[in-house]
Amino acid sequence: MGRLRSDKVAIVCAAIVVIFILIAVFAPLLTRLFGVEVRAGDPSTDTDIFNFPVIGPPDHGFTWKAPLGLAPDTGDDNLAEWLYGARTSLMIASISTVFATLIGITIGLVAGFSRGWLDRVISFVIDVFLSLPFLLAALAVAPIIVLRFSDRPGLLKWATFFSLIFILIITGWMQLARLIRGEVLSLREREFIQAARVMGVPTRQILFKELLPNMVAPIVVSFSLTLPAIVTAEAGLSYLGIGVIGQPSWGQTVLKAVPYFDTYPLYLYAPVLGIFVLVVALNLLGDAIRDAFDPKTRR
Amino acid sequence: MRLKKSAVAILATASLLALAACGGSSDSNSDKPVPTQGEGGGAGAGKNPDLKAPRAVPDDAAPGGTATVLTAVVPFTLDPTRAYYTDSTAIMNLVTRALTQYVYDPDTNDMVLAPDMATDLGRPNEDNTEWTFTLRDGLKYEDGTDVKAEDVAYAISRSFAIEELPDGPTYQLQFFQDGDTYKGPYKDKSPYKGVTVSGNDITIKMSQPFPEMDYYASFPVFTGIPAAKDTKEEYGNHPLATGPYMFEDYKPGSSLTLVKNPNWDPNTDPGRIQSVDKWVFKFGEDTAKIENTIVSDTGEGQTTLSYDNITPPTYKKITAEGGDRLVTGTSPCTYMWYLDMRKITDINVRKAIGYAYPYEDVWKATGEIVGLTRVPGTSILPPGTAGRVDYDVLGIKGQNTDPEKAKELLAAANADGYEIKFLYATDDPLSVAGKDQIVKGLEAGGFTATPIASTSEKIREARSDPDSPINVRSSGWCSDWPSGGSWFPAQWDGALADLEGMPNPSMFVEADADAKQKEILAMDANDVPAAWGEFDKFIEETYYPAVVTGYSGTAIIRGSKIGGMYNDSVRGMPTFADMYITQ
Repeated sequence: MGRLRSDKVAIVCAAIVVIFILIAVFAPLLTRLFGVEVRAGDPSTDTDIFNFPVIGPPDHGFTWKAPLGLAPDTGDDNLAEWLYGARTSLMIASISTVFATLIGITIGLVAGFSRGWLDRVISFVIDVFLSLPFLLAALAVAPIIVLRFSDRPGLLKWATFFSLIFILIITGWMQLARLIRGEVLSLREREFIQAARVMGVPTRQILFKELLPNMVAPIVVSFSLTLPAIVTAEAGLSYLGIGVIGQPSWGQTVLKAVPYFDTYPLYLYAPVLGIFVLVVALNLLGDAIRDAFDPKTRR
Repeated sequence: MRLKKSAVAILATASLLALAACGGSSDSNSDKPVPTQGEGGGAGAGKNPDLKAPRAVPDDAAPGGTATVLTAVVPFTLDPTRAYYTDSTAIMNLVTRALTQYVYDPDTNDMVLAPDMATDLGRPNEDNTEWTFTLRDGLKYEDGTDVKAEDVAYAISRSFAIEELPDGPTYQLQFFQDGDTYKGPYKDKSPYKGVTVSGNDITIKMSQPFPEMDYYASFPVFTGIPAAKDTKEEYGNHPLATGPYMFEDYKPGSSLTLVKNPNWDPNTDPGRIQSVDKWVFKFGEDTAKIENTIVSDTGEGQTTLSYDNITPPTYKKITAEGGDRLVTGTSPCTYMWYLDMRKITDINVRKAIGYAYPYEDVWKATGEIVGLTRVPGTSILPPGTAGRVDYDVLGIKGQNTDPEKAKELLAAANADGYEIKFLYATDDPLSVAGKDQIVKGLEAGGFTATPIASTSEKIREARSDPDSPINVRSSGWCSDWPSGGSWFPAQWDGALADLEGMPNPSMFVEADADAKQKEILAMDANDVPAAWGEFDKFIEETYYPAVVTGYSGTAIIRGSKIGGMYNDSVRGMPTFADMYITQ
């Protein structure tokens, strides 16, 4: 922890991540503070004949009515969409990462500690899941969910939300499971584990009391590197139109904003910057954590 | 004719070709939206049987050069028998000549029907059950052989082979002799009896009066195809050219290169010029890339054009530089919200939907440019249709949403919070944005809105399923020729109500309307168009089975060195036959 604290990059990145988390948590408050809201805009009054907003950028000056401007065509408020987009992004990323990590740890521990057939079966399962093409799975599941819940808009919103998390989890736990299994294989022949077994300590206790604490480093590193990967994946899926439905998402905004890259750059830059800053901060923080936990790597 | 491009996703079934006999102005000089569609117009005005060949090449043309056409769409097929989408027929107009053709008339800024391979627009007998066309002399294929009347007769017989060559226009099945029994030259070895040939004369016999055969003869179906050269499904990869250009290289789905046809004689063709050396069509390109290439107007971009409607940001850019390179005009199709008459039985509720529908909000949210690519309207028949009556049942000009009036009507019908269920595609951001606006508008009008989620892939299927859990269907229709005859019998006939694919999307079954239609079909040909106009007004006033959500428009751009590019109001496509590279 001390090593981490002395790393300036890590501190800055941690601060940025904390700010994003605060934005996500307090998105409803912040939108109210700015006097904006997530809603369908009023294109007929808020956009001109070119379907560009009549207030704020790109044609008019800054206005507090819409600090990040309005979306062309629809007149939706960009700031509100951005704040709630941060929320969607971080919520999906953190839930999926937590569950993928838990599953990875459990399966890795079991596989590594059980010799023989169980290890082989689990290793086989891991290999099977590793061969699952993530993008194909997402592309296949999305329309099924949409058609299954087509006439219940309220349910559809959450169904797509959780199906997305589910896909991210089942395609995200294997790397960690392999890592943990390898660690366990090398640790279980060490004297302190042998001693525990000779003393008759129950297996569960060996796994969680003796082995797990020795693997905090790889787990934290894996966690901190999976998080940004999932933020990117969520945005990518939304960009492809198979992400969450009925909630703002940075990926969706990017998709809508691409044709405006030269006429209304702010519309595109806001979500792109959001994704970029968050992912870079998380990645650098992850690197710093790895360095801090592993004294052998020095920069 | 079926529409090209994204509208295909919006328009449901085999929508028909749009024909505006009399369009509006396409001057684009101010920064205001340009009204693209004029009022009314008579179909008869759109014919010129005496147009003389050759067509003059404009003075500012620099002969030669390569014109590049970029588009995000991929033409479905280039087989002349199967070409029914507007992009296919417009491209094939350069390659395969038909009996008649549409030619751009600069005086009226509109298309007129003129002779093509035939010497005139055809000669019907007294009751329109037999049409005779005479081929010109000196017509040749790209290989130098003569175009014979037998080849045209063979091409016509080929159009009956709808199993081997599907998706083409199908009026021949309905109107031509033996249309219901003859199965085309592949299955029926005996020649088709409906067409007889004598010298250069081709005579087509009908099973019922077909007064509009001259329009129908402009489809690529009525070109010449030598029976010996017919390669069936393969023919679309290199159809024999009779027009000014021929296939050099065709990669289905990605590109088409046309070069000059040395055997085309301008003295036989009143409608086409042969100025550029080469046409290069690139299909399936990225929209942003296309628009940037043309807007930046440098190098090859100067001789590049697109037939895709522009997006709002590009409209803004092109207007800022003066708008000279923007070509606008009509492509009359009507978009409608078909109200399911089985489910929404109270006319007050149906009218309330018309008052509550947020017209302008939906158009803008879905990326349409109001007045340019989407034009407000109230009649089912689009402007430019003969006999069209301009009426306004709700009195809101097809765009002034009135939620208070909707609430009043709902209260009168004792149906507050009436539930409207409609489809949208979750993976299409424009569809989602439109859905949000509709929900908002309907709720403001006192309805309960339940959007039913679907995907771009499945939405058409869900819409044409009579048992879908929806009570309105968003779709549209375009005409093949400028008369209600290609509209009402095709969509508003009670007999169609229970057919596969929901050809009658409103499930409109009213005995008095059906009786009126029968009456009109039996009328004298000259009275028919006006009667359809009245019929249009009659069904909307009496039953209000559909909310008209605007007419389509064309807004396309070109590089600064492309000349002769006007709007082909028949198809909503550029006038390829008139185009050249400027000096």
